[in-house]
This record gives sequence, C-alpha cells and structure tokens, in this order.
Amino acid sequence: MDAVAAREVALPRSWWTARRRGYLLALAFILPAVVNFVIFRYLPIFAAIRSSLWQYSLLGGYGEFIGLQAYLRMLEDPIFWKSLWVTTAYVLMKVPAQIVLSMGLALLLQRESRFTAVVRSAIFAPVVTSIVVISVIWALMYHVQLGLLNSIITSVGLPRIAFLSNPRLALVAIVIMMVWKEIGFSMIILMAGLKGIPDMYFEAARIDGASGWQQFWRITLPLLRRVLMFVVVTQTIFSFQVFVPVYTMTRGGPLDATKVIVYYIYQNGFLFQDMGYAAAISTVTLIVLLVVSAVQMWLLRSEVEY
Amino acid sequence: MSPQAAFPAGLTPTPSRSVSRWLKAAARETWFHVLGAVVLIIYITPFLWMILGSLRREVEIFQYTYPLTWRTFVPVEWSLKNFQDVLGLSPEGRAFGLNFGRALLNTALVSGAVVLSSLIFNTMGAYFFARLDFPYKGVLLLFVIATMLLPFEAVMVPLYIVVRSLGLQDSYWALILPWYASPFVIFALVQFFKEIPRELDEAAIIDGASYFGVLRHVVVPNAIPGLVTTALLEFQFIWNLFYWPLIAVGRKELQTIQVAIAQQTTQTQIYWGRIFAGSVLASVPVILLFLAMQRYYVKGVAMSGLKG
Repeated sequence: MDAVAAREVALPRSWWTARRRGYLLALAFILPAVVNFVIFRYLPIFAAIRSSLWQYSLLGGYGEFIGLQAYLRMLEDPIFWKSLWVTTAYVLMKVPAQIVLSMGLALLLQRESRFTAVVRSAIFAPVVTSIVVISVIWALMYHVQLGLLNSIITSVGLPRIAFLSNPRLALVAIVIMMVWKEIGFSMIILMAGLKGIPDMYFEAARIDGASGWQQFWRITLPLLRRVLMFVVVTQTIFSFQVFVPVYTMTRGGPLDATKVIVYYIYQNGFLFQDMGYAAAISTVTLIVLLVVSAVQMWLLRSEVEY
Repeated sequence: MSPQAAFPAGLTPTPSRSVSRWLKAAARETWFHVLGAVVLIIYITPFLWMILGSLRREVEIFQYTYPLTWRTFVPVEWSLKNFQDVLGLSPEGRAFGLNFGRALLNTALVSGAVVLSSLIFNTMGAYFFARLDFPYKGVLLLFVIATMLLPFEAVMVPLYIVVRSLGLQDSYWALILPWYASPFVIFALVQFFKEIPRELDEAAIIDGASYFGVLRHVVVPNAIPGLVTTALLEFQFIWNLFYWPLIAVGRKELQTIQVAIAQQTTQTQIYWGRIFAGSVLASVPVILLFLAMQRYYVKGVAMSGLKG
C-alpha cells in the first residue's frame, strides 16, 4: 500500500519520464522524413494555391492579390480545355490497351522456361530505360523519311506514314510507344497475382471439363480483380502525368494534337514565364487527380478474398 | 491399376488418336514459340538499332534505311566516333561543347547521393513505424502515405517555387534534397521489417542495445533483400528523372544525362549518331544492372504492387 502511494507521487514529478524520453528518441527516427515531406511535398501545394491567387513572377515574387482570376481565365482558355481533352484521350487509349496486352503477355509467359525468361527480360528492359531515351529512339523510328518503321512499311509495298506530323496519328503514336515501354511493369504485377491463385481451382475446373476461356473468365479474372484494379489505378494516375514523350517528340504539336496538361503547365510556367497561371492549372490538375485516385481507391476496397 | 484400366473396354486410346493428340500439342507449342519470338523481336529491335546505330559513322546512319536489308542494322564501317564526340574527346565534340561524361558523372553523383541518404532516412522512418512506440503513430503514417497520392508532376512547378525561395535552385542540393525521403520506400520497408521476429529486437534490448543499435545490428542485417530492392528502385527512379532536373537546374555543368540527350533533339541540325551514343551511355549500364539484379527487383515490384 505504501509502495504504491510512493510511486504515484514519484511519477508525475518529473517531465522527463522514461516514457517521454522514449517518445523523443522515437521522434528522432522519423523527423528527417517528416521534414522532407513538409517542405518538398506539402509546402509546394500551399505555394501553388498561393501563387495562383496572387500576381506572381519569378523575379518579382508575389505582387497584387488577384483572387480567382487565373481560374476564370482557365475556364475561357480553349487550349486548356484542349489539353484536358488530349490528356483524357491519352489515358482512355493507353490504360485499356496496356491492361489487355499485359494480361495476355502475363498468361502467355507464365510458364517457367529459359525461353520465357528471355522474352520477359526483353519486355522488362524498356521499363528501366529512361523515357527520354525511349522517346528519342522512337521519334527516329517514326520519322517519315529516315525512320525504321517506314522502311519496314515501304518494304511490303505500303505508302509511308507520317506518324508524328499527322495531327490524327501523333497521339496514337505516343500511346503505342508508351504501351510498349510500360507493359513490362503491369505484366510483372499481374504475373505475381496469377502465381497467387491456388492451382487446385484450375485442376477442379479442368476435371469439370471447363475450357481455357471458361477458366479465364470464371476463375482467373474474378480472383485477379484486386490486382487488376491496382494496375488500373496506378496506370491511370501515371498516364495522366505524361510529359516527356510530348516534350521530346512533338512539343505539343501538330496543331496542339499532343498538348497534354503537364506540357501545358510547363509551357506556361517556363516558356511563357507565367508561373501564376501554371500554378493554377497545377492546382486544378492536382484536384482532378486526387478525385480520380480517391474514386479508384474506393473501387479497390471491394476485394475478393481467396 | 494400369493407365488403360481407366478407359472402358473399346475406348482404349488407339495409336492414331495419340498421334493426333501429339500433333495438337506440337501445334500449340509451335504457336507459343512463334508468338514469343514475335514479341521478342518487337522488344529487341529498337535497342539493337540504337546500339548498332551508335557504332556507325554519322553519314552512314540513314544511307541504308531504304530499302530494308541487313545493312539497315549492321554498320558497314564500325566506328567509335560518336562516343568520342559526345564525351568531348574529339575536336568536333569539343567544338559543340558536348560533355556527356560530365552529365553522366552528375547523374551518377546525384543518384548515388539520393540512394545513400534515402537508405539512411527511409530505413530510420520505416523502423519507427514498424517498431517504435509513439502517440498518434497512425495519424503520422497517414500523413506519410498521403504524400504518395500527390502526383509529383502536378506539384513540380510549385516545388520549383519552394526550392527557389530556399535559394537552392541551380545546385546539386536541388537535385538531391527533395528526394532524400520517399513515402513509397518507407511503406515498402515497413512491410519488410514487419517480417523480422520481434523477439530478436527484445533480446538485443535486454542485452543493453539502444534503438539505434537494434536497427543497425538486428533489423538492417535481416532486411538486406528488401533494402537492395528499394535501393535499386530508387536508383533507377532518380537516374531516369527528367522533368525535375530540366526545370530545377539551368547551368550546363549541372545537367543530368537525360536532359543532355533530350536537348540534342532540339538543335536545328540533329546529329542522330551522337544521340544514339548518348542513349547507349545512359541506358545500357542501367539495363545490365537490372538484368543482373532481376530477381530482387521483380520481387520488390511485385510485392509493392500487391500490397498497394
């Protein structure tokens, strides 16, 4: 009884209790990371909002308060709407094509052999290669006069194709290249997902006489839904941010046919020296992306257990 | 029970049936290999074309494009001139002010510094979330993971404004500091650390080890595969970064290799041989590194993918 009372008195006396010291020590481990996130991830968002509401120039800093003027200007800016549409078209073409093709490749190459290992490595090589190198090489492959693709096309007697200078083809050409580059990434995730499906499901289906297609639609696809959703979510977000191929291959042209939103941000901020407007577009893009990813995260929650 | 016993009398497989089954299997195998070979060609050709193109003289590059023959790929006269040019080793290269060697060095320096600092700080952060006691740790984790949702490209311009107001633009710091901690790496490492038995830490603490001692002597040695995977991911990510180095750094001496290559395509006269050579220098080492470390990397990507 006496001992307990003594402890109760002794504990709160010092602020520097063992537990608090433990917390402080623990804090030291996470502090460097937290400082990074505050300065380089959260602060930019506030900087974006701030510089979109004030007149802002790189040389003069913040000037007069202009409120929502930059946003109103965006509403009336046909190139902004065009860039939003181009980006959406890009995402809508690229993500489904990539998912379907990487699913096919994952199924084709899931068998373990030296041959499949070589093919898988080849498909994976562009994933780790920089997008700058890939798009520079493909720009030359697409070239009307000098390109390898046109060399192949003409060798079978077809007319040359102006992949990048035809406004109706340029975006599709970029989509094809990007699907080629990024397919390996989604393929690997899908393969890991395929490995996770217990073999006995397929064995049972085979005994019941299910065909390959039936097995795919009834077993593989439903059980892979969570992994598939993950690939769709991340690819949509990544694709929305496409920039480098446009910068290196087309500079947004021809006739703004490939002017995606991030390129338009870059153009306003660094070529037209209009940081405030660029920040306003960034803010809107950020909101759009957060909404898109929130909706997709919500879809991801409905998981199938096995 | 013999295999035949499974078939009722009269339905035992006849030789002709097994031949047709064999033929079917052979056809399926052929299809599989043909399809695989087509995919292989589609993937290898651009790389082969780039590497062989870098070993040609500039005049030769487009001479054999039409008609399509084996000469389209294989150089008539092998030459290292393009490499000498981009590295600034030849008079022409120097006259153009080309110095891809410097750009490669910058890229290696920045990637190395980021990987090293990221290993230290993310490991500490992951250890915090996986093992240490702290009030509102869940909220803190949410704060960290939420940054993963931020699409970096969309905050790049405002990030430039922040970096500029800190006076860091146009310096190595601008290329390194924003990346020294990564929510993705912390998250992945937490998963790896959680698989190490807690009893090991407790034993070490009873033996008088500090938190730091536990991290260094228990957690890190047991999480080497996870650390290698994330270090590789981080290395490739920083090495291939383009948009940020493009806007953060204007001085040519600080240019990274990706920016240097991209800027070659904006010249009025494009020297494709040099672009090929620069591309080979920038990508072949990374591809070889990854093929060598594939086992780790593929596992890491798959894991991060599945666990979201």
